[in-house]
Amino acid sequence: MSGATRSARDPRALLPELAVAIGLLLLPFILPHLGGTIDLAQRILDWGLFGLGFDILFGFTGLLAFGQAAFFGAGGFVAAYLLTAPYTDNALLALVAGTVVAAALGTVIGLLSLRRAGIYFAMLTLAFGEMGYFLDISPLAAWTGGENGIAGVPTPRLALGPWALDLATPMATYWLLAVLFFLGFWLAHRIIGSPFGLVLRAIRDNEARASAVGHDVQKYKLAAFVIAAAYAGLAGGLLGLLQGYMPPDAFYLDTSGQLVVQTVIGGAGTLIGPLVGATVWLYLYTVLQTVVNLGSLGKLLLGLIFVVLVTVLRGGICGGVVLLWHRLRRAPAPVEPPIAAPAAAPAGPADAMPVRQRAACDGPIVLRAEGLTKRYSGLVAVDGVAFELAEGEIRAVIGPNGAGKSTFFNMLASVIPASTGEVHFRGERITGLDVARVCQRGLAKSFQINQLFTTLTVRDNVLIAALARYGGRFTPAMLRDVHGIAALAALTDETLAAVQLADRAGTKVAALAYGEKRRLEIGIALATRPSVLLLDEPMAGMSPIERADTVRLLKRIAQGISIVIVEHDMDVIFELADRITVLYNGRKIAEGTPEAIQADPQVRAAYLGSPVDHELA
Amino acid sequence: MLVAMGLTIIFGALGVVNFAHGSFYALGAYAGVVAYERTGSFVAAMAAGALSLLLVGILVERVLIRLYYNRPKEDQILVTFGAAIVLVETLRALFGGLAQRLPVPSWGEGAVNLGATFYPTYRVQVLGIVACALVILYLVLYRTRLGLIVRAGIEDQLMVNILGINVTRTFLTVFGLGAMSAGFAGVINGPIVTVTPDMGADVLVQSFVVIVIGGVGSFWGALVGGLIAGEILSLTAMIAPAYSQVMLFAAMALVLILRPQGLFGVQGRQ
Amino acid sequence: MSLLEVDAIDTYYGDAHTLFGVSLRVEQHEVVALLGRNGAGKTTALKTIMGVIAPRRGAIRFAGEPIQGLPPYKIARRGVQLVPDERRIIGGLTVEENLVLAGLTAAERWSLERIYAMFPRLQERRRQRGRELSGGEQQMLAIARALVREPRLILLDEPFEGLAPLIVQDLLGVCRTLAQEGRTIVIVEQNVHAALALAQRCYILNNGHLVYEGTPAGLRAEGELMHRLLGV
Repeated sequence: MSGATRSARDPRALLPELAVAIGLLLLPFILPHLGGTIDLAQRILDWGLFGLGFDILFGFTGLLAFGQAAFFGAGGFVAAYLLTAPYTDNALLALVAGTVVAAALGTVIGLLSLRRAGIYFAMLTLAFGEMGYFLDISPLAAWTGGENGIAGVPTPRLALGPWALDLATPMATYWLLAVLFFLGFWLAHRIIGSPFGLVLRAIRDNEARASAVGHDVQKYKLAAFVIAAAYAGLAGGLLGLLQGYMPPDAFYLDTSGQLVVQTVIGGAGTLIGPLVGATVWLYLYTVLQTVVNLGSLGKLLLGLIFVVLVTVLRGGICGGVVLLWHRLRRAPAPVEPPIAAPAAAPAGPADAMPVRQRAACDGPIVLRAEGLTKRYSGLVAVDGVAFELAEGEIRAVIGPNGAGKSTFFNMLASVIPASTGEVHFRGERITGLDVARVCQRGLAKSFQINQLFTTLTVRDNVLIAALARYGGRFTPAMLRDVHGIAALAALTDETLAAVQLADRAGTKVAALAYGEKRRLEIGIALATRPSVLLLDEPMAGMSPIERADTVRLLKRIAQGISIVIVEHDMDVIFELADRITVLYNGRKIAEGTPEAIQADPQVRAAYLGSPVDHELA
Repeated sequence: MLVAMGLTIIFGALGVVNFAHGSFYALGAYAGVVAYERTGSFVAAMAAGALSLLLVGILVERVLIRLYYNRPKEDQILVTFGAAIVLVETLRALFGGLAQRLPVPSWGEGAVNLGATFYPTYRVQVLGIVACALVILYLVLYRTRLGLIVRAGIEDQLMVNILGINVTRTFLTVFGLGAMSAGFAGVINGPIVTVTPDMGADVLVQSFVVIVIGGVGSFWGALVGGLIAGEILSLTAMIAPAYSQVMLFAAMALVLILRPQGLFGVQGRQ
Repeated sequence: MSLLEVDAIDTYYGDAHTLFGVSLRVEQHEVVALLGRNGAGKTTALKTIMGVIAPRRGAIRFAGEPIQGLPPYKIARRGVQLVPDERRIIGGLTVEENLVLAGLTAAERWSLERIYAMFPRLQERRRQRGRELSGGEQQMLAIARALVREPRLILLDEPFEGLAPLIVQDLLGVCRTLAQEGRTIVIVEQNVHAALALAQRCYILNNGHLVYEGTPAGLRAEGELMHRLLGV
């Protein structure tokens, strides 16, 4: 819904809100003609609201949670209890209380569940959801009414200061829900388009890379989880109000499951997907029930639709609509990337291979490792390697297979922890720091296999990295438009120009040629404005033309940055490197200028195997 | 516990998280009911429960699961969850939502004097049957060619492929066996619990708890996990019955946080 | 007709172009060395032959029959076996179980006695789990496992990597015996001298391109070329 690069001031950016508003206004008038009731409309909106938060968590952050019922029920029962005890007659107050409690619960459960990822996270949320159910039924029955729920929830009375409004009719309650849904949608839309929202999407696409460019991924995930819990709590409270009764099945696994199914059927990652899915589900149910009297088949049918959609149309109904739209406009669908397209190198001075003087390597030491060792059970992969990188230097690390280069490199970049030894960056000890913190200090890495944010555009890929630099490890900016921040845009444009992808800024990653993806890979690392850049086999998978282009690129960006590069392509290394470090069997066996290394007999022996060892009779 | 076993093997060997496993359990119970009504023989019911699920499992794998081996785990969760809905609702459509009766077989009636209390005979027998089934499962895993392939495949699917073994055909068998164990469990539990279309949901969740505690992909893990889970339920039922289910989940959460691979978990190569 | 013909294959990992129009052939009873620095594409070439990856362009023929695009188990059943560079012993199985596993679908197979006769150290450890073996023993098991199926073509990927010189000597002896028995072997090795000691012909890959074809003697004669392509 918001991959567009428009500033918030552009009236077209408000199109989704307008569409939603119109839909909300028209719904109660259209629905009765299609066999629905106001009550149905209310329920659809309630589920839609529930789903807004869930879509932020699942559709935009990529976290599949199976226990949202816990928050739905918690919010609902707190609100219902307050209104029926009665501690208040102000529905607004009760709703707010329910939402706050749900959010608090979300914080606790989120902290516990997010310690694991993927399926374990799903199972943990499932377990906590079930725990909620059992707590509701038994130990807390005195407050929640156990299996009977809480009956007699009064018609909503909204009090704000001196004003009070009684919503006596179903239509009135509908308008309450409509207003709340609209506000909820507006908020969710702002969140998604904000810096915070962009990082969520980065996490969904490539969590490891989001972390590697300096974002504190756990905080973002927790925030998304709490937001989803808050929306759930609000929706739960509203359910009690619109029914006049708070049912225990709010806590059922079924409720969590229904939310997931509706979201996927409608289309995850669209914000209105859950609403669409709820419409389909509830409407189908009603129609089958009243018209054909086959209500029991409703769920079966929905289950089949769900399975089919997940298998062939993962984007759900909204996704299908978007695909159809593209096809009708005859816009080119996301294409196969061109094979081995050379870089769009502009003709001109940039074209000639820049001449680079060998750096003197006598500047201050920016990166230092002492006694760096990595042990795996029984095997010593890296053994006591010492390493010093001078400012402005380009250092190559080479060695035959199994020499421990990748392991050593990953320890420098904090991707894996060292068994013993220390790493210092600009005089500061960084051993054992997590990769996000290390990147924030100015040490960035680009990967051998492209680690890109695959559903986003080139610009957004770079923007995510620039954002880490600009906003730090966690930015709570949820209401600003991420594309409207001038400083960020400038940083992004600069980086795009440096890697020659400025004219591809609006292209989605999937449509890029391999060489372009590789440049983007380096660009992402560059956007964090590192002072030391670690490049892991930047030439991997490149044709000879692409290699030459990349060498040009690296020479250009080497102004003002110190670089460590792991590579096998000796020609490239001799073009670029000021000094070379040679590893063999986990130890450093030589270090010096390329010429010196070339002549070193120990290095020759390492690469070719010493004839003495392997003489055969 | 038997259900958990099937689940852990499916996940360990195939890497597929099967949210439909509970529905297999329910299907087995219903197959048993139908067979019993037709034949009056509990043994026939047991056979029906097991074999029908073998077929269903193979069918589901062939038609659906096979498409998902290379898709993200979340998608596997979604599609198996959806398959569960379809299966359960089909049962509801065919048999209605009211509980069905699968009576205790004649050789299981009465109670056994276990010293302090009387314990229903059938339940003791079920323990025995499950123990037998587990032994058979163990023998299959550790003494047969198929078991060898499954254990190797859990660790390194590709290498097994390179050694000339058609892994896809093995998947089919494994999934079928896993489903069969769930179906069999459904039948033998039929007389003890109420047979409804939704009976699988609780079992599924409990199976998750068992395999998380015991470790994914490990036979012994599922065994020990099941014992521990059973113990937690019994102990808390005596002390604070309202919290017994909750304690189970608390234990699962604890294990997931402290030792995510479970007590005996195998870290496979995916 | 060569036993193995690789005909201008292009292999990609995702969209990373790793092999560029590589062609080579292996005659029956030959030992061929495939050399190059790491990253050159040697392991990729072996994996492509074994079917672990399918080439995007080109063809591979084994005993005249095309095998590109077939899954590994079908290629294995035609008589090709790969000893991968990470060895990939099934750690949870015993030595004996690893060997039995290898022979399950083989039409002809080596008996356990025959394996143990060639690898006495494996017999000593037959009931130990794979993960308890040392690096050299694992390598031996990996080679023994490949032999169980009586393969017509053996692909050895860096068999000597990370092993102590004494163990390398042992394994060299085993390989020499296999070569003397007339087995067809393709050996990928960074230890150039060891590989050249075994091979009758050699190829060199550089950055995914095939850049040299010749004999060990011929290669040794061109010392500078050898250093340029294989050294620093």
